[in-house]
Order: sequence, then structure tokens, then C-alpha cells
Amino acid sequence: MSRLPILRPEGNVPESARLGGEENNVPVMLSRLEDSIGFFERNLSNALGWARKNSIFQYPFVTACCGMEYMSAMAGRYDIARFGAEFPRFTPRQADLLMIVGTINIKQSPVLKRVYDQMCEPKWVMAFGVCASSGGFYDNYATLQGADRVIPVDVYVPGCPPRPEQVLDGLKILQDKIQAQRHRAATVERSPEIAQRDQQRKSFLGKLLGK
Amino acid sequence: MAQAFIELLREKLPDAVVSSHAEKGGDDVVTVKRERLVEAMAFLRNDPATDFKLLRQIAGVDLLTYQTESTGGASLAGREGPAYEPRKKSPVEPRFQVAYNLYSITKKKSLRVRVELRSEDLRVPTVTSLWRTADWWERYIFDMFGVQFEGHPNLQRLLMYPEFVGHPLRKDYPVRKRQPLVPELDFPDLVRGPGPGPGGAGVPMSQTHVGRQNVDPTTYD
Repeated sequence: MSRLPILRPEGNVPESARLGGEENNVPVMLSRLEDSIGFFERNLSNALGWARKNSIFQYPFVTACCGMEYMSAMAGRYDIARFGAEFPRFTPRQADLLMIVGTINIKQSPVLKRVYDQMCEPKWVMAFGVCASSGGFYDNYATLQGADRVIPVDVYVPGCPPRPEQVLDGLKILQDKIQAQRHRAATVERSPEIAQRDQQRKSFLGKLLGK
Repeated sequence: MAQAFIELLREKLPDAVVSSHAEKGGDDVVTVKRERLVEAMAFLRNDPATDFKLLRQIAGVDLLTYQTESTGGASLAGREGPAYEPRKKSPVEPRFQVAYNLYSITKKKSLRVRVELRSEDLRVPTVTSLWRTADWWERYIFDMFGVQFEGHPNLQRLLMYPEFVGHPLRKDYPVRKRQPLVPELDFPDLVRGPGPGPGGAGVPMSQTHVGRQNVDPTTYD
């Protein structure tokens, strides 16, 4: 399914992404109940991922010249609508994807954090351009050295400014990430014995696979 | 270019003018005593012979590292002796300047009026009564250099946030010092600037900045 290795920096992933994901990849014998739950979870996650990745409503947090390139990526020639992200919402409450387009200075960082906090889950963040990714060449007293110092970032698109192709590529990487996210479907609680057994198997296999 | 206006100013206020010279780009510069600044500026603005109705810009200047960085030991224009004595580890006073770039629309001439300030007494009378635009320029100079403009109606920081401590365009402000407003994750990273964590609060500028080797870090960093 995924074209590229899934970007998963530990600690920067929303809570929903980590649930159940690795378990389903571990080849262990399952009971009938777990098997059916796993089947349901997998299909539900795939369906949710498909729906979410193809209808990304982005909130463009445009602060600098990268905004021109964002407009270019939005407009007819590059046409971000081809990937289902044609609908910018200018309120964070209706948006899925926070695009940080441009330099974030320290005076602005509380605003950025607030906008991020106002977004509903599930939410993703794209750092658009080097300034949002790392501060760029603004290594000075006023500039936040990368938006990920304040909020978690899923995709970094380098470039000063990035070409629209790079933006679209970043969007597709994000789509892969969204598609790969897994969600726990069942509310059935596993018995402590089974949970313990799963944990042992996972740790054993983890050692085996060197993870 | 604008020497005639400086001569007019000398005739009108002979005790206000300290010195005058032409800079490399052809700009004429006149240095004025701080106590007579408003008088001199009012004359330059209101007299029909000068008519400097437009205040283009006010600039702050910190000469702390001027000698080592740009003049290679030469003295400042219009002043005897070096601007900065490495052995003393302190700048030669007056360390700061405030420069007013004026333009006469009718005469099509520009003039720079300069005030020199000692670092222990950074006070300048405001010219907001003459030019409305001086309001934000003076707030800017106050923000970046800490110059106090006496009589200014609203002398607050213009660009930096109120929580900010210090004046970032002074040459002794640590280059990589950060003052974050929200808690930040720390990335111990060479490529990016340092975060707020240990070591990030201020790499001694004597290690990062050309021309700062002679400055005692305990004094200025």
C-alpha cells in the first residue's frame, strides 16, 4: 500500500495512529474472536483511511512568501484538487490538515499552538518550506527554529519556497501515512492473560526482528 | 549635495552642530548636539530654505564592533582615535548613534542628522511633534537598541513581544539567544539554531561571531 517508508517519529504521532497498528502486522495465531475483530479493524481502518486521505480539508496558516507557492499549488496548473484537498477551510475547527506556510516567529508561536489546539481530531500538520521546517536561514532572535518545537509535524516539505510538485509529493506522503493508520474497532476488552501473552509475543518478536 | 543646508544650520544654530562630513555614497551627514536636536530639526523642517518635510527613516547604530569588523582599525569618520579599544574591552564612547534620514521634497535633497549617545545615558528628545512618522521609528529604535526617547507619547516595544528581555540589535546581544513564549521541544541540532534548552540560551558570541574575539565574554555575552 505505502509507496515510501511511513514517517513515524516517536512522540510526534497522534495517539490514534499508534493503536493496534503493529499488532496486526505480527504473525501470531489468533483466536476466532480476535481474528474477526482484527479483520473488522483492518477493513474499517482501510475504509476510514481511504475516506480521510481523499478529503483533506486544509487550513493554510500562511505567514510568508511560501503563500505564493501555496496558491500556485492550489490553482489550476498544479491543482491540488486532484488529490482531494481542494477545499481550504479558514477556520481550524473544520480543518484536518494544518499547513504551516511560511516563517513562524516567536511572537506568533502561541497563535500557531492555539490554532493547532482548536483543530478537531484526527488532525495532521504539514510544514511547508524550510522556515516552517527548521527556521530556514532565519537563525536569529525572532524566529522559531522549526514549527515542530511547538506542535507535532507529520510531513516536512523542504524548499525556499518548495515547488508545487514538492508540495504535492508531501501531500501524497501524508496520504500514505493517513492510509496506514490503524484504529481499534472493538470495545471488547481483552482478558489480562491474553493481553499479557500478546505483550510477551510482541516483545519476543520485537527482539527477533531487531526493532 | 546638501552642504548648503548644513551651512544654513550652522548660521542659524552655531552651537548645535558638532561636526559634518560627506559619506562615501554622497550623503551629507551633520552631527548635532542632543540638547539642541529638536531646535535643529524644527529649523530643518520648517524653514522654507531647507524644507525637509519628509522623515524617511530613523536608524540606530551600535558601534561596539565597528572597528574590528568594518574599518580594520581605522578611526571613525569625523572622530579622533579608534572607535573600539580591544585592550580596554569596552567600547569607546559614544557607543550609540541615532541617525535621522531627512528628505526635502521641494529641494530634492537628502540629509542625515546624527546624534551621538554614550551608553550610560541613552536619552534623546523625541521628534514626534515634528513628524508623525517618528512615532513608530522611535519605538523601533527603543525596541532594538534601548534608546529612551524623552517625551514620546507611547514608548513601547514595536516589533518584539513585551516579555522580551534585552535589545536584540545591540552588538552584545548573544546571536543565538532565544526567548520562547511557549514551551518548546529542544533539538540539539547543529544545523538549526539552538532551542531553549541547556546550551541554547546563549552560545557565547565570542565563539560564533567574526570580530568578537577580543571581547570579554563575561562582560558582553
